Amino acid sequence: MRVRRGRMWGRGIRGSSVAAAGRAALVLALALGATASRAADDPKTASSSGANFLDPLLEQAWEEAGVKPPRPASDEEFLRRAYLDIIGRIPNVQEAQAFLTTREADKRTKLVEYLLNHVDYPKNFATIWTNLLVGRGDQGRNVDRRALSDWLRKQFVADRPWNEVVYDLVTATGSNRENGAVNYTLAHLESEAVPLTSRTTRLFLGQQLQCTQCHDHPQNDWKQSDFWGMNAFFRGIKVEEKRAADATGLERYDHTELSDQPTDDFARFDKRNGMVGVAFPRFLDGEKLSPGSKLIRRVELGKRIADPDGDLLPRAMANRMWAHFMGRGFVNPVDDIGPHNSPIAPEVFDKLTEEFRDSGFDVKQLIRWITSSKAYQATSLRVSKRGDSPGDQEEDDLFNIMALRPMTPEQLFDSLMTATSSHRPGATRDEGRRDNWMRQFLFVFGNDEEDEATNFQGTIPQSLMMMNGEMMKEALSGKPDSFLADVVDRARGARSPAVQMVDQLYLAALSRLPSARERQTALRYLQTQPDSMGVLQDLFWALLNSNEFILIH
Amino acid sequence: MSPFSPLSGGLGRRHFMRHMAATALGIPAFRFFSDLRANAAQARKNHRSCIVLWMSGGPSHLDIWDLKPDSEKNGGPFRPIATSAPGVMISEHMPKTAQQMHHLSVLRSLDSKEGNHERGTYLMHTGYVPNPTVVHPGWGSTCAFELGSQLDNFDLPHCVSINSPGVGAGFLGMSYTPFMVQNPNAPIANLQPPGDVDALRMNRRLQMLGQLEDQFIAQRRTPPAVDHKAVYGKTIRMMNSKYKEIFNLKTESEAVREAYGKHSFGSGCLMARRLVEQGVTYVEVSLGGWDTHADNFEALSTRLLPELDQGMSALVADLASRGLLDTTLIVWMGEFGRTPRINQNAGRDHWPRSWSVVVGGGGLKNGQVIGATDKDGVDVADRPIGVMDLIATMTKTMGIGLDTQYTTPRGRPLKVVDDGGKPIEELFG
Repeated sequence: MRVRRGRMWGRGIRGSSVAAAGRAALVLALALGATASRAADDPKTASSSGANFLDPLLEQAWEEAGVKPPRPASDEEFLRRAYLDIIGRIPNVQEAQAFLTTREADKRTKLVEYLLNHVDYPKNFATIWTNLLVGRGDQGRNVDRRALSDWLRKQFVADRPWNEVVYDLVTATGSNRENGAVNYTLAHLESEAVPLTSRTTRLFLGQQLQCTQCHDHPQNDWKQSDFWGMNAFFRGIKVEEKRAADATGLERYDHTELSDQPTDDFARFDKRNGMVGVAFPRFLDGEKLSPGSKLIRRVELGKRIADPDGDLLPRAMANRMWAHFMGRGFVNPVDDIGPHNSPIAPEVFDKLTEEFRDSGFDVKQLIRWITSSKAYQATSLRVSKRGDSPGDQEEDDLFNIMALRPMTPEQLFDSLMTATSSHRPGATRDEGRRDNWMRQFLFVFGNDEEDEATNFQGTIPQSLMMMNGEMMKEALSGKPDSFLADVVDRARGARSPAVQMVDQLYLAALSRLPSARERQTALRYLQTQPDSMGVLQDLFWALLNSNEFILIH
Repeated sequence: MSPFSPLSGGLGRRHFMRHMAATALGIPAFRFFSDLRANAAQARKNHRSCIVLWMSGGPSHLDIWDLKPDSEKNGGPFRPIATSAPGVMISEHMPKTAQQMHHLSVLRSLDSKEGNHERGTYLMHTGYVPNPTVVHPGWGSTCAFELGSQLDNFDLPHCVSINSPGVGAGFLGMSYTPFMVQNPNAPIANLQPPGDVDALRMNRRLQMLGQLEDQFIAQRRTPPAVDHKAVYGKTIRMMNSKYKEIFNLKTESEAVREAYGKHSFGSGCLMARRLVEQGVTYVEVSLGGWDTHADNFEALSTRLLPELDQGMSALVADLASRGLLDTTLIVWMGEFGRTPRINQNAGRDHWPRSWSVVVGGGGLKNGQVIGATDKDGVDVADRPIGVMDLIATMTKTMGIGLDTQYTTPRGRPLKVVDDGGKPIEELFG
């Protein structure tokens, strides 16, 4: 069955149940029923039962490559990855139990719907896009990172079409405190807006032009003049630091104002032969802006990027979102799309791009399609022992087995917080604390491309932090009101307190119950060691330090 | 840009499994402690090391190693001075290093073609331009993989990057990724377990962890799962090693600390010496701030060159006096050079077309200048050197076979030294 035109439906649901999300955390089962009924009634929701329009194309790709269709992920696997991918953290004990014990046939679809309406969904994607747009580091006072993040969150709350969000980001004007979107442009204006040029083409158009800053591209058709033609759109931009009197009447910096004016300016660049080149605004498709016009250049650029009939923007987003959920894109690196870089499963890629555009750039719909596909529903478990065959990696490329992905620093922080505050239902995210914690792993290169890296993913400093760090110490604290103390308290009076305690720790950390063998091993420790709190701490330490905890699977 | 980026993948699985024995993976969790008999010092014999001094941002080579006093438009204000190597002239702002030039050689004709920071960094570290189909290992990780992993019972990471993260291990996997020392003047964070966790409890934790790790690996058998355990193995070794004091510079005399300088670059150079002394294979020390699009000469003369000169000269002299210079290759480089043309802001821009790299130690025939640029520093005038020639030279110096080849995760062959790369003959006796 082909599904066409998600547009109507997508518009219908927009902005519907934001309020419901806050309540929902406490009454998961209820929320599952409430938000999902609408989804279930709609034939276009494409549940995991095979109605997904991507599945026939995926199956065809698997058949042509001679690989077996994937085996479905267990509920435990699916639960954990859906929480991490959609709302950026693992489920807490109650959430995990609610999902695992429900027997409804379409509970996965309902879970996705619940998560898309969860208050943490817009927060998660706002965090992701803030990092992509301005990085994790401190960019100085002209860049209000928090304002950008808040602005993005509002866009995701309101389910705004992606091309409209992008148009606003590219063209935004005004105060960096009041219009968070302007911070994107403000963050990348130095060095003749070279960083703004390469980030805009990478993020929104999926094209890596940055090397053509200095020479023609070695692997595709981009020329040096293409880069500078795009760069010339970022002329006529005015940045003003505004001052205002503070509470004590003292005048000081208040905010930064971004505005545009028409200009005849052009970009100058050094050619490799030592000559100086000149470029006027020209979009990637070759369309030039007529010189001398009174047009605002960023507005003209925004219109071209956000063109509802364009291909590059929906393609770039479809690929990035697929990579977010699958661990790798159809094209990798995700922002290097073009004839020089052939995609995996091109028919699936084309179809997803087309449907996303036709849906009116509906991000939630894109997520529904991806998460209900057989590719996202695949297990990460490997069947046989023939793991040594060299062809395996190639087979994995076809999205027939779920890749293992390390958590981002943000996911790790929020997941540790979730695991250790399951007993505090009202606990919310502490983004300020998270940002501070993360800075210790952040390295900013301080060059004109604002490159940065995290000294984080899977390296020794990270294991040291997980093993011995302050946060782990806090997580394992058995003091009153701590998670572990609560686990012990609740187990009193249970039929078998030890079993309940062990089960709670597994659910909190790994979102699953222990296997019989694991439970036995843990119980033996509890029976033979005098300090049961010590054993619980050590077990929780091991669970939180394990590859199963830190890898999305 | 790492968020959202695809997984770096791993080695072909067969290749990968074969090398698992070389990692801590072979050590069951409960033996993590008993196995820690450190004899790194013994392993030092015949072991070769490399220290890369990485000038992040793109250093202005024409104001350091290849001065053009006769070029009216491009020369700049700095004057050349004579050095301990007959006929070799370098910048007046490098007086201490000038006294060590008989241990070093200047390659003045590098043509590297990448003028973007990220791409230049990748190219100079891997020898390859970024390619969508494979994530190349940094050359330092290749050394760790080829040489470091042959050291039995070695407690320290084989590949260390001081002041910056360096470039990752690509398909060689996380356990060959550089260990980053963020600040050489501060203790390594979280190296000690909390006070209430004694050896007995730590052992219990590791036993429990080992079971979880092994089960997950058995079910998934992919590099991220296996690497996680390998990195933990290395971490635990380091935590329990008597050599962890290596990262504490306070044990050095005040005179030595003063000689290197207490800024992060000088301290990094001192730490690099301490690490190679114990048999660490690859150490990179980073000095940032070279992206001098404006006020180039001011930044160089007041800040960058004094730090560089002090740290680099102390390192070379110290290695020489300890008899370590013949087995330690030194490479000074950045992602590219800077334009001969001086721009309207008294700065120089990115210039990969004709620039300088410095090598030294390593038992090479040093004290030479190899290659030349023309009068204005624009074109290579003599003996062009490609990035692969440099990689070939470094690889040969380390005693790694020039024909070393890997199979990428997609089953394609990849050479450490690509076909075009030839060692620079003039450097070999």
